[in-house]
Amino acid sequence: MAKRLVVKLDLCIGCRACEAACRSRFKGEARIRYAEVSETVSLPMPCRHCEEPLCVAACPFGVIVRDEQGGVVRQASFHCVGCRSCMLACPFGVIETELLRDVSQKCSLCSDRPEGPRCAATCPTGALQFVEEEKLAEKKTGVGFAVRSVHGRRL
Amino acid sequence: MSAVRTTCPFCLNGCESIVTSDYQFRMEYPQDATVNKGRLCPRGNSASIVVDHPKRLAYPLLDGKEVSWDHAMQYMGSAMAGAKPEEMAVVYSRGLAESEVRLAWGFARAVGTPNLVCGYVEPDNCFQHRLAGVKAATIEQVKAARTTLLVGDVFGTSPVASGPILEARYADRKNRLIVIDSIRTRQAGQAHVFLQVRPGTEVFCLLGMAGSLDKGPGIDVELCAAASGLSGRQLADAAQMLVNGPSFVGSAMHLGRVYYPVQHSLMSQLVAIKAGAPFTGFGEACVPLGKTGFEEFRRQAGSGDLKSVFWFGGMYPYSYPELMPELTGQVQFRIVTSIFRPENALPGLVIPVPSELEKESTGQSYWGEVVRHPVAAAYSGARPLARVLGESAAVTELQADPVSEVSAREAVEKTVAALSGHRPVPVGVGFCLLGEKRASGIGGFYDAEDEIRLSSPDAAKLSVGTGEYVEVESATGKAEFRVRVTVAVPEGAMSIGVNAHRNRALFPLAKDAVSGKTTIAPAQVQVAKSARTSAPAVEMIARVG
Repeated sequence: MAKRLVVKLDLCIGCRACEAACRSRFKGEARIRYAEVSETVSLPMPCRHCEEPLCVAACPFGVIVRDEQGGVVRQASFHCVGCRSCMLACPFGVIETELLRDVSQKCSLCSDRPEGPRCAATCPTGALQFVEEEKLAEKKTGVGFAVRSVHGRRL
Repeated sequence: MSAVRTTCPFCLNGCESIVTSDYQFRMEYPQDATVNKGRLCPRGNSASIVVDHPKRLAYPLLDGKEVSWDHAMQYMGSAMAGAKPEEMAVVYSRGLAESEVRLAWGFARAVGTPNLVCGYVEPDNCFQHRLAGVKAATIEQVKAARTTLLVGDVFGTSPVASGPILEARYADRKNRLIVIDSIRTRQAGQAHVFLQVRPGTEVFCLLGMAGSLDKGPGIDVELCAAASGLSGRQLADAAQMLVNGPSFVGSAMHLGRVYYPVQHSLMSQLVAIKAGAPFTGFGEACVPLGKTGFEEFRRQAGSGDLKSVFWFGGMYPYSYPELMPELTGQVQFRIVTSIFRPENALPGLVIPVPSELEKESTGQSYWGEVVRHPVAAAYSGARPLARVLGESAAVTELQADPVSEVSAREAVEKTVAALSGHRPVPVGVGFCLLGEKRASGIGGFYDAEDEIRLSSPDAAKLSVGTGEYVEVESATGKAEFRVRVTVAVPEGAMSIGVNAHRNRALFPLAKDAVSGKTTIAPAQVQVAKSARTSAPAVEMIARVG
């Protein structure tokens, strides 16, 4: 069953634990970004794993692929040369532009961890959740629900 | 590869984590942990960095130069032989296991000195002062609260504790979250009622709330409200919300944020008692009080009465010998233990000890007893405190004296005295510098530590904008900061993160006029526009962590 990483804006307290968890796993390079909307509203910016990912189209070496089953957009080979095409192509700007090791850092939803991504596991408030697609609608935990309201106030 | 399940040592929430070590240390998140369900804050996530941090100290340093352990122990011996017992002082600070605090007490008895000092002077240590009749909260009570009152930045102090608090806040539409703070933090953004008080005056707001709940003690609510820049009606309304249904009061203090830490702690508890709510004091460490106050220790060190000072517990970034010129000037022998290499060549002996992640220990969390297991072998060259002390004297463990409970009447009397003696900082004479716990991992995960936040009227006054630089000068130091104009900070105040050592050094040690304790209060600073326009080159080591 496909799982999605969803953000509940209501619950984000801007602690940046998601970024820290990602950095401590990937040797200082975070694959999740963090944005401050205002002084009191902030949100994590994970990779959206788009249905028609532009990074896949932009990659000249075919390194980034989209798994048809799980819907995960990930780097499938070690042939990345750090050309930064994926960063330029990404409409959400979630691929880190500063490279420490000349390899682009693309979120793979922690494919090395069977339980799911570390950012969702560590989030102190549950603002980042890794849930099954089927449950999104019934549990009202989806992105759509979150974006309509911030801190309980409807936008 | 090994995996050790342990408890995070960086605040008292008692978060459990699993540290695995193969080619590098990594964190794993145990879902069955009762307190945190595997959730960790940035500090917890980067905890393992301490183990193989590039700045770890691996050998004893004497006057900034590497020496052998034999030489170091010889120096320690001469420090003990070269001074009379009353000319010595034993200071213990944060970063010690409970058994090591008992060893420090035993060491003081072995050398016969009456000067046994608690060196952890951060305000959050004042939460060990308990008011008679206060009930400690359990996590279930926090989750079940219909009204939650948070004083100070609880989310900044223990981010993982925000989980159950927000769970209670969103459990029902009628549930309410009240926040009292001087800065509009993220936590304040979650609040239904946010009482923004004048910098450092949360204590008067709390006194007013307690007074409006109980008319008995004769507290002037309007006067309290005026001292914290609010109206009496606001305090009464907030206090009334607490009485309805199960509620919870949580309080946090940190460096450079409050003026009267002991009274702050007691008044938070008083509001909890009056509202019939359980209470938790959120802090990073709880170090038992010593026999001699830190203020008295400073006086003795400054007047040259002390010849030898033994300072146990992580020196950097936990305690402040660098901030005390009297310690480096007048004292003949200085012995400190440390995990990291000191930034400056510190005169005296610096002894490397294992970090909290490399020793077995038991301790208290907000929610009960916790056990910590070593995740790695002790850093090469470091020696446990027990061995260092055991080689110099016959030391046995000695239990620290318990803190006696304070009666509500006495606490109110002292706070009223503080209120009558409190003079707000006059407008136009410099700025009030506040400390802020920002998201930060250990070892420089983020590079926002050179940022200062100020209000737009102040920015106009200084004719600076976001991204430009200002020079901040306090009584103890001078530093440059990048400006960020914000609505979060009130006019006349500025805030900086206090995780970085250089930022912390801007806050001088101050004496709390009411309790007589040493504290780190909001600092009075002079700010001027700086000539610098661009950011300094980012240090590679900080980026890699």
